[in-house]
Amino acid sequence: MPGKPDYPGGGEGRRVPTKPNKWSPASGQLDTTRTRDRLVEGPMAEDTQEPLAGAGALREALRALLPPTKEELALELGENVERSVVQLLQEAAELFCGGRRSECLQASEAILDYSWERLNTGPWRDVHKDWRRVYAFGCLLKAVCLCEEPGDTTAVAAALKVCDMGLLMGAAILGDILIKVAAILQAHLRSGKRPGPGPAQEPPSMKKARYDPVSVPDMMSERTVPRLHCPSLEHFRKYFLVPGRPVILEGVADQWPCMKRWSLEYIQEIAGCRTVPVEVGSRYTDEEWSQTLMTVNEFISRHIRSEPKDVGYLAQHQLFDQIPELRQDISIPDYCCLGDGAEEEITINAWFGPQGTVSPLHQDPQQNFLVQVMGRKYIRLYSPQESEALYPHETHLLHNTSQVDVENPDLDKFPRFAEAPSLSCILSPGEILFIPLQYWHYVRALDLSFSVSFWWS
Amino acid sequence: MAEERRGSWFGFGFCGFGQAPGSGRGRQVLSPEPLQTPGSGADVRRVSASWSYTALVTRGGQVRLSGAAGGAAGGCRDAWASEALLVVLRAGPGRGAGPELQAWAPASAMRGEPLWARALGPEAEAEGAARGEPPAGAARGEPPAGAPPLLPLLPGARAYVSPRPPFCRALAPELRARRLELGAEHALLLDEAGQVFSWGQGRHGQLGHGSLEAEPEPRLLEALQGLPVAEVAAGGWHSVCVSETGDIYIWGWNESGQLALPSRSLAEDTKTIPREASGLNEDGSEVRRTARGEDGAPAPFIAIQPFPALLDLPLGADAVKASCGSRHTAVVTGTGELYTWGWGKYGQLGHKDTTSLDRPCRVEYFVDKQLQVRAVSCGPWNTYVYAVEKEGS
Repeated sequence: MPGKPDYPGGGEGRRVPTKPNKWSPASGQLDTTRTRDRLVEGPMAEDTQEPLAGAGALREALRALLPPTKEELALELGENVERSVVQLLQEAAELFCGGRRSECLQASEAILDYSWERLNTGPWRDVHKDWRRVYAFGCLLKAVCLCEEPGDTTAVAAALKVCDMGLLMGAAILGDILIKVAAILQAHLRSGKRPGPGPAQEPPSMKKARYDPVSVPDMMSERTVPRLHCPSLEHFRKYFLVPGRPVILEGVADQWPCMKRWSLEYIQEIAGCRTVPVEVGSRYTDEEWSQTLMTVNEFISRHIRSEPKDVGYLAQHQLFDQIPELRQDISIPDYCCLGDGAEEEITINAWFGPQGTVSPLHQDPQQNFLVQVMGRKYIRLYSPQESEALYPHETHLLHNTSQVDVENPDLDKFPRFAEAPSLSCILSPGEILFIPLQYWHYVRALDLSFSVSFWWS
Repeated sequence: MAEERRGSWFGFGFCGFGQAPGSGRGRQVLSPEPLQTPGSGADVRRVSASWSYTALVTRGGQVRLSGAAGGAAGGCRDAWASEALLVVLRAGPGRGAGPELQAWAPASAMRGEPLWARALGPEAEAEGAARGEPPAGAARGEPPAGAPPLLPLLPGARAYVSPRPPFCRALAPELRARRLELGAEHALLLDEAGQVFSWGQGRHGQLGHGSLEAEPEPRLLEALQGLPVAEVAAGGWHSVCVSETGDIYIWGWNESGQLALPSRSLAEDTKTIPREASGLNEDGSEVRRTARGEDGAPAPFIAIQPFPALLDLPLGADAVKASCGSRHTAVVTGTGELYTWGWGKYGQLGHKDTTSLDRPCRVEYFVDKQLQVRAVSCGPWNTYVYAVEKEGS
């Protein structure tokens, strides 16, 4: 993904950009050692969601969160961060603690702008974590300073956006303070709203997501992925994990809370005002493809409910780190314990988009459980042994992606593709598809779709 | 030839650490201000600005620092400022000895010991002379056009300085470098024959070879082959060159309009002045774009321009000098005007506001004051300009 080719923790993660994204770099992986802490603190986020009394309550809640002295409002930074920046951070903290909000805001802007430049220098995986901490720190101060007038909803929404930028591109600081601040701001915004889904001016006819009678593939001629109902750990390990064979697991995720709970309305209520990265364009191998940032409400209104100008896909985003409340609706499949890695190292991504989103044929460097929550997806799979017949791109940037358009292959250009054996399936809500490490996969959404993927080793 | 009037330096943009021109007054200066240096800055022959401090090099061989780093030192022929290192070129210890390259921690104010030092040997001096470089302690004059190699290129042009280790990097002997510029993650080299080479990271199109791939070694810019280039400049993630005939070619990242191409982020920012027809030429660039037509259809936005695009200045003005900050561009014309565009949040464009622009705009201050701009040198978030009074009237 643009900016995500050097996905932290993922090495050469899945999708690699043809174009750097406008807001690059991409969302970095949050400090994984803190995942467990974050989950434990999940209930705390919930506690602050009772409707707040108003401006005064917001200020109180924020004040309680932040360290009171400038000594505590500080980061431990190594040599990678120059003295001048450390000086500016100290100055900003001093201004903050001294109540000089507008000057603090100015200093925070400079901190943000400078660290943003460092985040955009060199491959993302080489960006030192300290720079991401500095960026997060700038976001923290800016967000809290913006809430000078908490009665002003625009300012609070802007502050929440800043928090999200810190979560997307920064690294955890001060005990995951940005998550806590975001939760408080979000609760404040929600308490000010009437219950109900997103954007105001919506003609009633547009309320539902579009459904065009899309081409559901005729799979009569295709070999299908085998299905198992709740296999034992050992059975799964012996017959699928070790030999690297895809399988659909039924009866494993179908009782997760997300299956009943998630809908457009629910997602908008929980995450509507949060900023997320969205891919715009039919597929990431296209010239016109790009990434941009928008709130979940904007994404739903622009790319799901209405007739969109272009395809938008909230793809490959660690939404559940950003919004812990959603994390409670899903679980980690037990089969992940068969891997070598710790639970904290499992990358959980959200894939949320309208009918018609396409992920071109590609391979990933980890095992993958793809859990379908809303809607159906058509998926085609090719073994890594068939790689030559799939004509991977030669550039470094796209070497994990095939040049072939799976459902409309140019067989003159890619003759061997026709003979390559494959498996396919339609994945429905409640089902989990096991995609073995390096197994080529192509995905098209047949409906409005929400999937959750678990990358593990 | 008429005697050149002495000019002076002006600065505008970010000065949050108190560096020139701000003198601690505020974080930014939105319109050009004369530099407050002893002797009104008339004797400053080079300005090298890093983010948090600025180094002025005088004709008398003094380096003066302002901002997060302070202090001054003599016996310096050239200086190059970066956040990690202040690099100075000092006259060698004795007669016949070559110059010495020293790297200082900026905060040291050049007192005590440098972080490292390297004698460049008398050959460097001799080579420099053979190539027409003025010897150390050159006679007074303006910052000369067709200049001797400046840091980060070392005298002798066999190597250059980098702010990251390895600090001294060799250049292949067949590259007869005239000028070298460093961006955040790439390098540009102009050779004696007027050819341009680039290397480093390419993810923002800043190498100009038409792709986003990195280049480990200097690679010739084929798109410019045969075009004699007079000057190159590197911004954070973009590149500019000026041909001997006064044409500007520009490529790389356009996220703040620094390429003077339509920028989406500027269009979405309500404070931006809407873009007018710019007269850009079609040059078959990889990113599909069209000039703004009479039908008023907006030109598609361009985030990345992966190979050189010709840029026309308003009124067909020809360019002679160029310099880039991290996300803005400044160009001096043959008639002594200064045009700037790109990121403007800290006033680095000099148009009295903080608006970013995706088209070249003239800095009216110099026109109003009847000053002829002769040189420009950009720090990451600010701009320094050398100008002389117009003759006559």
